[in-house]
Amino acid sequence: MLGRIGRWLDERAHLSELWQSQMIDYKVPKNLTFPYAFGVMALVAFAIQIISGIFLTMYYQPNVHLAFDSANYTIMKEAPFMWLIRHVHAAGANFFLAVVYLHIFTGIYYNAYKKPRELTWIVGWLIYFVLLTTALTGYLLPWGQLSYWGMVVTSEIPTSIDSAPIIGKLKLGELVSVLMKGGYEIGQITLNRFFGLHIWLLPLILLALVGIHLYLVRAAGISNPEGKEIDKKKEGVPFHPYMTLKEGAYLMGYLAVFFFFVFFYMHHFLPPDNYDPANPFKTPAHIAPEWYLLAYYTIFRSIPDKFLGFVAFNLTLVFLLILPFLDFSPMRSARNRPLFFIMFIVLVISAMALTILGTMPPTPTNAMLGLTFTAGLFAFFLSLPIISIIEWGWYKAKGGDKQ
Amino acid sequence: MIKAVFFTVLTVAFFYIIWINNIFAPHEHYEMPAQYAKIAEDVSYAKEGKQLFEQNCQSCHSVRYDAVYISSVQANPKLKTLQEQYGKVLPKNVYEAVFYEDLMGLKESFGKVPPDLSTMYLVKGKEYLYNFILEPQKVLPGTSMPAVMAGRPEETAKIVAYLKSVAEPSPEEKNKRVLMGVGTIAYLIVMGILLWVWRARVLKRMGLH
Repeated sequence: MLGRIGRWLDERAHLSELWQSQMIDYKVPKNLTFPYAFGVMALVAFAIQIISGIFLTMYYQPNVHLAFDSANYTIMKEAPFMWLIRHVHAAGANFFLAVVYLHIFTGIYYNAYKKPRELTWIVGWLIYFVLLTTALTGYLLPWGQLSYWGMVVTSEIPTSIDSAPIIGKLKLGELVSVLMKGGYEIGQITLNRFFGLHIWLLPLILLALVGIHLYLVRAAGISNPEGKEIDKKKEGVPFHPYMTLKEGAYLMGYLAVFFFFVFFYMHHFLPPDNYDPANPFKTPAHIAPEWYLLAYYTIFRSIPDKFLGFVAFNLTLVFLLILPFLDFSPMRSARNRPLFFIMFIVLVISAMALTILGTMPPTPTNAMLGLTFTAGLFAFFLSLPIISIIEWGWYKAKGGDKQ
Repeated sequence: MIKAVFFTVLTVAFFYIIWINNIFAPHEHYEMPAQYAKIAEDVSYAKEGKQLFEQNCQSCHSVRYDAVYISSVQANPKLKTLQEQYGKVLPKNVYEAVFYEDLMGLKESFGKVPPDLSTMYLVKGKEYLYNFILEPQKVLPGTSMPAVMAGRPEETAKIVAYLKSVAEPSPEEKNKRVLMGVGTIAYLIVMGILLWVWRARVLKRMGLH
């Protein structure tokens, strides 16, 4: 019976042809390493966020009087199993960003942004950027102390443009800040605005971007850890079952770790301070952004001048965006590029150190350390053109350009 | 191989610091005698704690998630009518609007409306609450909270146990969640291993291994 329904459907929708052409005839390199699975993990994390988010909107109330109780009483105590959905959504957001960061660093390590994959990288950057905005808007919704004061600080950051020499006169920063908040203070309008952005606009943009990203990965083919393009007919293995089962098994491991946190360790993802309802008259002792923004935050606060700090952390984002053009070396993958490998380690250590510094109090020593690691971060990006020129020399010396 | 180990260790150490135990960030720490910590942990003292709460705290503090409102509200016949319409746990805006005068009376005496304590256990933890309720001025100098429980550590611990019972899921519920968690994780691990084994077989048959 089931077989007949399947055949009936297949005759009309040609699903098996689609499966054959897209999953089996699609060939991928055989030597893909474990970090290549971060992509599919991010995709699953995204799906988890969408599904759990839809269920949360059924109980959440975007109203300054009711938001906190709807999250902490209705969802956590009244409605059956909604505590689980909230845990999944809160931990899922952190895991999603963690996996996206690992995916980005994998891309950098294997030089997956090089021709013909520049566009994949740029769309990926857009996903990352929209994802940060989604995380930021979602953070306000539980209307706890951290949500509220985190947003007070975040919405002040654009105003640092106003301390710039000439363009500061235009008060652009204030304009952005007012547009974010829908006024001069964070209130009902802000909450509604962020709710709309968080549940409709940003996820839809993300969905579209993720679709384009996946299409581009397919169009350009998966990169290779060895840094060379494979002859798909000779060396490629079928995507299904070779890669699907391998990544499926990795995925189960990822989900096991994820659910360990969901059930047994929510202390970081639902922090204690956020169980305190938002109170505009009580400033909490420690206000810092979530961990995924801390590196930018440390860059921002380590630089004594507000405007320069603003420029510096935005420059990091811009560098990340134009990475495929900064690195124009003919050589690919950190496996074959010793100089690049060293700078990659500088990048990783700087990024991690900046994040950890963001959790520490802003003492002069920490500011100095912050500046040092900011320099490390910039050194990676700025060294890329130099490394590229050196490597062009090596490449030509080997007669590479004549091949 | 060395590189893989290096990056794995680095990543795991990073997320351990950021998510689990940040050894670099400052932590506030409060001491609590072990025998009282045991009482505060044990939600079977919650019933006693609730009585103590009603006697000592309820004149100023509500625990809305347990349908416990400040004494003057509790004595007001309007409360029952409202609860019939809105449920035992009144929506915050309804509560604050209808009993505005009661709350403002408290604000006049203390400088601010004493906070609702429904989630306070989750925010502050038992050590802080125990110390704060016993000696408010020592923990938070300048606070308008009076030292009503001074010299009564055991009863204070019982009140903390009550607050815990309101904020956290009950022990049975917790056990259920642990069971669910273990089940889910075990299922995923078994499925992962099965997938891996099945893959090895499929690839052998296809001659790809």
